[in-house]
Amino acid sequence: MIIVRLITWLRSHMLLVKIVSISVLVLLVVGDLLIPRHRPHFIGDIIPGFWAGFGFLACVLIIIISKWLGTAFLFRPDTYYGADEKGPQEGAGK
Amino acid sequence: MIESLHAGNFFFHPALLFFLGACILPFVKGWGRNIFIIAVPLASLILVLFLGYGAHWQVQVGGMEITFGRVDRLSLVFAYIFCLMSIIGSLYGLHVKENRQTMAAWGYVGSALGCTLAGDYLSLFFFWEGLMVTSVCLVWLRGTEESLRAGFRYILVHTFGGLSLLAGIFVLYFQTGDITFGPMPEGVTLAAWLIMIGFLLNAAVPPLHAWLPDAYGSATVVGSVFMCAYTTKTAVYTLARAFAGFDILIPLGVIMALYGVVYAVLENDTRRLLSYHIISQVGYMVAGVGIGTEMAINGATAHAFAHILYKSLLFMGVGSVIAATGRSKFSELGGLWKYMPWTFVFTLIGGLSISAFPFFSGFISKSMVIAGAWEDHLTWAGLLLTLASAGTFLHTGLKVPYFIWFNREEPPFDPPEKEAPWNMLAAMGIAAYFCIMLGCNPQYLYAMLPYPVDYQPYTATHVMASYQLLLFTMLGFFLLLKQLKPKPLIGLDVDWFYRRASVYFMAFCRNVPAAIDTVVISRLHATVALPLLRLGSRLSSWNDIRVVDGLIDGAANSVLRFSRYMRCIAQPGSLSKYLAGMLTFLAGTVMAAVALALY
Repeated sequence: MIIVRLITWLRSHMLLVKIVSISVLVLLVVGDLLIPRHRPHFIGDIIPGFWAGFGFLACVLIIIISKWLGTAFLFRPDTYYGADEKGPQEGAGK
Repeated sequence: MIESLHAGNFFFHPALLFFLGACILPFVKGWGRNIFIIAVPLASLILVLFLGYGAHWQVQVGGMEITFGRVDRLSLVFAYIFCLMSIIGSLYGLHVKENRQTMAAWGYVGSALGCTLAGDYLSLFFFWEGLMVTSVCLVWLRGTEESLRAGFRYILVHTFGGLSLLAGIFVLYFQTGDITFGPMPEGVTLAAWLIMIGFLLNAAVPPLHAWLPDAYGSATVVGSVFMCAYTTKTAVYTLARAFAGFDILIPLGVIMALYGVVYAVLENDTRRLLSYHIISQVGYMVAGVGIGTEMAINGATAHAFAHILYKSLLFMGVGSVIAATGRSKFSELGGLWKYMPWTFVFTLIGGLSISAFPFFSGFISKSMVIAGAWEDHLTWAGLLLTLASAGTFLHTGLKVPYFIWFNREEPPFDPPEKEAPWNMLAAMGIAAYFCIMLGCNPQYLYAMLPYPVDYQPYTATHVMASYQLLLFTMLGFFLLLKQLKPKPLIGLDVDWFYRRASVYFMAFCRNVPAAIDTVVISRLHATVALPLLRLGSRLSSWNDIRVVDGLIDGAANSVLRFSRYMRCIAQPGSLSKYLAGMLTFLAGTVMAAVALALY
């Protein structure tokens, strides 16, 4: 299986994968200085690297805000509904 | 090329093909059955390719014109993708020996096609209800206690939506006398709202959305693949048909896009996570319909088309994992990369497509909606939709593959011996092919859209911006990986109101009104009647003593007093007083006579 072999190879060369990934990220921002800009809709289309920062901040914000909402209000054990929905109905039958 | 095929006047309703096919299916056996299951949806796709533009199959019912076959560019795009999806879905479910699932799925596809081609509200409503009835079977056929309950909840919620739609149709008919299904006319506010609520419920717009993760997380593996494609996209079609340019849909769509992303963080069940991302993706379509420009409507339609392919691909990938391992929770999965590599690759392609990676199908459709927002100077909408798109990659592109196939060295259970059956892999392969093919050749999709397309997704700026957005999201994901570790928790959603609050309500009813009943009502004579009677008798005795007696005694007393007083004046009883009186009278008379004589 070529896919399995490829993944095994990548997993055994994690450092290389990390270096390549980080250099890709750096290249993306550097490359943004060079490309031509036409029909910018928004200030973010003019600042180089704006969308990189936006993506990173978006990811962090989404995780932090959702986690906070979850722990503060919304999280329940995943048996939450199961027990409750049965309880009263059985009770009603008696 | 496609245009010329539709020039004729040919029409046969593709839904009929599915309904007939579903009826014949139980009688077809052996290899013939396999061929039949693929042939019916394939025939429907070919049929749709030859449908002629215009209105067909019109019937007069009680003065109303019912149109079963309205063929135009908008309805055709949806008909194409619905038929293409039915081929993929039927192939995916080929190994299921039970005919009922395929029959229900075909009834469901037929209903969706019926809605798409309906030219009036009455036939739309008929097929709209068909969607609900057939899809609930796909939930129930799972056969678990949980799916039974989820199915009943699904029916209740959709009945509400259907009734709202029906009420809207009645109001519309009485106000305008016309039930043609087209852009909503001016001045029918109530009808428009009622119909819109019906559509929005099927489009899973919060707070009318909780049925979606509930049902799709509990349906059969094959059922959820079908369900993720049709109900919400039919609703998007009806919204685009009737409510294009309704401003309220823009904020609703943006809220949907973000809502799904936030809840996806909290979700531990694979299919429920994907369900929340349906809400998020349909948000782009609803927002596109709300923006209402040609570009945005094109974007919404294209996104619906692309979405059906990649979302079904994701559901198929996750469904294969569920079929092979029997597990659907992230906290119970992991380390499958050695055992299900093909499923991993296909799911990853679905994840990259939904995240709008360049050269995948989401890129060419989602960006049209966002570009529609920029061009309409809705900067806030454009930014928030981009934010949601980062969140989509975070979950569907990263969290789903990572926590199912990696995260652990080995799965925490006996690994599956082999991957999903060949037909499942083939179906995923076809969907993955279309995801990449459309991503690299957007012109094929753009040629089908309702309006002429003047949009080029592959500009250097756009590709660069997309890569930056997505790859830096990935950086954030790996930096915050610990935060995202799945836990066996659920996030409360508005279904709490009918799942838990209704339990509280029942408990309240059992305790408070029931207690009042046993203590008060059942001993009514003691608790209410007797005190009332006692009060009545006390009141009447007071009345007797104070009012009646008082009146009579008082009158007698005053007569007595008056007569005593009069007696003192008129009959004093002494001679001198009588004489004095008489003399006074005489003197008065004489004085009067003298006075008369003088004048």
